[in-house]
Amino acid sequence: MAIKSLLIVNRGEIAIRIARTCKKMGIETWGIKTSNEPRAHYLSHMDKIYDMSDEFSDVLVFLDVERLITIVEETGVDAVHPGYGFLSENAYFAQRCVIAGVKFIGPTPDAIHKMGNKTVARQIATKNNIPLASGTTHSIRDAEEAKEIADKIGYPVIIKAASGGGGRGMRIIHKAEELAQMFRLATNEAEKAFNDPSVFIEKYIQNPKHIEFQILADKFGNTIHLGERECSIQRKHQKLLEEAPSPALTEELRKTMGEIAIKISQAVKYESAGTVEFLLDQSNNFYFMEMNTRIQVEHPVTEFITGLDLIEQQIRIAQGEELKLKQEDVKLNGWAIECRINAEDVQAGFSPYLGTIEKMVQPTGDNIRVDSGIVEGDTISPNFDSMVAKLIVWGADRNEAIRETKKALAKFWIKGLKTTIPFFKIVLENESFRCGTFNTGFIENELESMHDTSEEEEALAAWFAALKYAEEREKEETNQVDFEQGKNINPWVLNKRLKSF
Amino acid sequence: MDTNGKLFRKFLEREEKINNQFSIENAKKQHSKGKLSAVERIELLFDKDTFEEIDAFVIPAPLTTSFGKITEAYGDGVIVGYGKVSGRLVFAYAQDFTVMGGSLGSVHAQKINKIQQMALKMGAPIVGLIDSGGARIQEGIASLAGYAMIFKHNVHASGVIPQISVIMGPAAGGAVYSPALTDFVFMTNKTSYMFVTGPNVVKEVLNEEVTNDELGGAEVHSKKSGVSQMMYEDEEHTIQGVRKLLTYIPSNNVVNPPVVLNPEETPDYNERLRDVVPDDPNKPYDVKEVINLLMDVDSFFEISENYAQNIVVGFGRLKGQTIGIVANQPKVLAGTIDINSSIKAARFIRFCDAFNIPILTLEDVPGFLPGVDQEHMGIIRHGAKMLYAYTEATVPKITVIMRKSYGGAYIVMNSKNIGGDFNYAWPTAEIAVMGPDGAVAVLYRRELESSEDPDALKKELIKTYRDEIANPYIADEKGYIDEVIDPAVTRKKLIVSFEALQNKHVARPAKKHGNIPL
Repeated sequence: MAIKSLLIVNRGEIAIRIARTCKKMGIETWGIKTSNEPRAHYLSHMDKIYDMSDEFSDVLVFLDVERLITIVEETGVDAVHPGYGFLSENAYFAQRCVIAGVKFIGPTPDAIHKMGNKTVARQIATKNNIPLASGTTHSIRDAEEAKEIADKIGYPVIIKAASGGGGRGMRIIHKAEELAQMFRLATNEAEKAFNDPSVFIEKYIQNPKHIEFQILADKFGNTIHLGERECSIQRKHQKLLEEAPSPALTEELRKTMGEIAIKISQAVKYESAGTVEFLLDQSNNFYFMEMNTRIQVEHPVTEFITGLDLIEQQIRIAQGEELKLKQEDVKLNGWAIECRINAEDVQAGFSPYLGTIEKMVQPTGDNIRVDSGIVEGDTISPNFDSMVAKLIVWGADRNEAIRETKKALAKFWIKGLKTTIPFFKIVLENESFRCGTFNTGFIENELESMHDTSEEEEALAAWFAALKYAEEREKEETNQVDFEQGKNINPWVLNKRLKSF
Repeated sequence: MDTNGKLFRKFLEREEKINNQFSIENAKKQHSKGKLSAVERIELLFDKDTFEEIDAFVIPAPLTTSFGKITEAYGDGVIVGYGKVSGRLVFAYAQDFTVMGGSLGSVHAQKINKIQQMALKMGAPIVGLIDSGGARIQEGIASLAGYAMIFKHNVHASGVIPQISVIMGPAAGGAVYSPALTDFVFMTNKTSYMFVTGPNVVKEVLNEEVTNDELGGAEVHSKKSGVSQMMYEDEEHTIQGVRKLLTYIPSNNVVNPPVVLNPEETPDYNERLRDVVPDDPNKPYDVKEVINLLMDVDSFFEISENYAQNIVVGFGRLKGQTIGIVANQPKVLAGTIDINSSIKAARFIRFCDAFNIPILTLEDVPGFLPGVDQEHMGIIRHGAKMLYAYTEATVPKITVIMRKSYGGAYIVMNSKNIGGDFNYAWPTAEIAVMGPDGAVAVLYRRELESSEDPDALKKELIKTYRDEIANPYIADEKGYIDEVIDPAVTRKKLIVSFEALQNKHVARPAKKHGNIPL
């Protein structure tokens, strides 16, 4: 059944990204106007708006399953696209959509559930002979059990939250003495963050590369991969720069890993677009880490080198279409790099930099794509993530891609906020980045400076500061302060004042 | 100058020598630490080419023991003199860290003493630019005696001429007590610090590792200890801040404050003032918005902005006339009075009173901050400071009650009966012994316990209490308030009332001095 209308239960750049494909496919889009950002830019890309800007609630609507289902019913849409984040990997929400009779653009609730729980995912992987970092396939009861397992697999080990993500509930343990305390910290954190204290243990692979494979699968069991993405430039498990393909993979390794990725997807009868994440160690051993059952932030790099529209593929699969593409038809063409331009103060440990975008000039070109949900005058608020834009650049090979990205960054200009742009400039100059040997320890081990500054900038800053100061000083001097009037004191009070001393 | 070569030779030699001493190379030592040289600081503080230095050529006292040595340098590490700031006579001294670490020797101290005495004789403000390693160990007791003399002059001048200390480097040990005795302490963030005992001693005695900045940096003193009233990010702005403060305050305790002849006035009638206070009595708002609506444009100069933020104090102008403002801040701790805010306000009120600056009180106070901590740390004694300061002050005092005004805090905040000259209230005011919740709980405890629907009854009683007691009209009818006014006309009202009060004088019983509860 063809989808005619679609509700986007997301905001920002991904809402705009989804709407763009829908427009191309002739699907009517619905967006949700919230009280948090009633004038948000993404709304202008929607065909229709569901206005709830006068509703105030502690829970953001994009996280409120019940409220969203009523919106689905009221708008009468055929399908729901969750984007990434929010409820995109929530099996319950997917299930409720199915019950409400609308298509949830993504895998089945069952697949989301299986891959969403990491211990379940590990069990499935073990059953299917998928390489895993040694560790447990069930959640750990107490610190004693944790110690037993850790002693067996050898330190360092990592404790992870079973329902986790984004680095929360995660602890690395180097020595047996630290285990009990770290176990407690991890379970507490997991309980707070995910309402589920269960954790599991696996061997900690030091400074691996983060390699993920893009999967497409239809309802008929056809599953293909679209090559890998290299996402090793991370800070505390937050990806900052991604590229496709990875400089570390040979054609042979790509084939092996891709087949494994397909295998695990098929094991859960996966459909729609998904991502299988691996860790790759220095001797090219790879380990299945987890599967993300949604469209990812970094999907554009794959789109650039495959020429496919992944959102379109998701919608077609949801409509019940069969994948036209066979694995042997997938050709990776050239190189693509994505930089996440976030409003962050890199020198202050990448802390969010809240404020208003006074001016923004984006680079343009045939091989440049900027996905952004923000326009001049918008503010970065603590309510949402700090992403300003994604800059994606294509080149015929890696060197060209790096060169073109540098050019594009030089033309990317944002006034009013501190952003990660100067950080990327220095990453792209880095030797270990250029030769492709970097790993997830890149920021801690390879970068001497977090920030690119040119002499010119420093001179300009000094000049600007001096000018500002001169202006301030001049402004102060405009007050005509008169000290003489203060001496004209009425004799009535002056005499008494003097006598009272 | 050649004609009289013989007589001028020595003179010119000395000139050359001192110019070398204050060379650019010398300044660079300071610049490398993000600081300015003493000469540059003096140049920034005073109007162009108005500074006159004295005692430039004095030399350090010779050593009487064999311990350590003395660097031969003119001026003994301090520049003293006088000049014009915004056209008015101001005295100043600036310690020079490049000469023996700015350490205080006996000659150095004598120079400061000299300028302190002159400032007092002339009835002119004095500014100390402090950048010193402390007492000069080689000179021993003579150096300590020097500090003692400086402290003595600080105390003698207190309340007679305004004294401002600007910390632009270290101020350690006994040296911190001169700034502590003065009216205002300015600090530059990251490059200045003050403490009685430094990190080394802390490490030895308590085995705690702490940096200069963590122990006594500008942030610590402006946010936590309250020792410093003003903090700026660089020395240029710090000195600019001193210049700005000086435009609000008079030269001494006899004359009145300076007047700005071309003030940019805010509207006398401003309807926005009716909406600043939210309808919901528990909702916070920013009292600084009220201050800015009432004062001349951009004239509010806040003191101790980062310390005890539940009370806001500072200088503003009404038609160019300096006014001291004390305002409860509903945004922080609901505007309650605690120990720190009482001390902060009391000190500010006493400065205003000493220097003939009228005081405006903007009141929205639910009471004193309750708690074991506060009681055990002595909120009785410290809260009394503010009460004492308000009552003691003889300058014109006006209060505007914007919203809450309950219990003891009502009395303290310049109420009519402790000496408020004009006390106004907005229609949103709630004046009573306690807030509605408390009052209902005390008076109707039994009824509430036996009620079938205590919540409904409580709501009902609270409404009655608000209608009948917690409003400004009873106080108005009994004369405890002079007038309930439309918030929109508040500025006009203040201008007229302060004008009427300008020749106020109150005779107090003769005494040596009062005994404020310290």
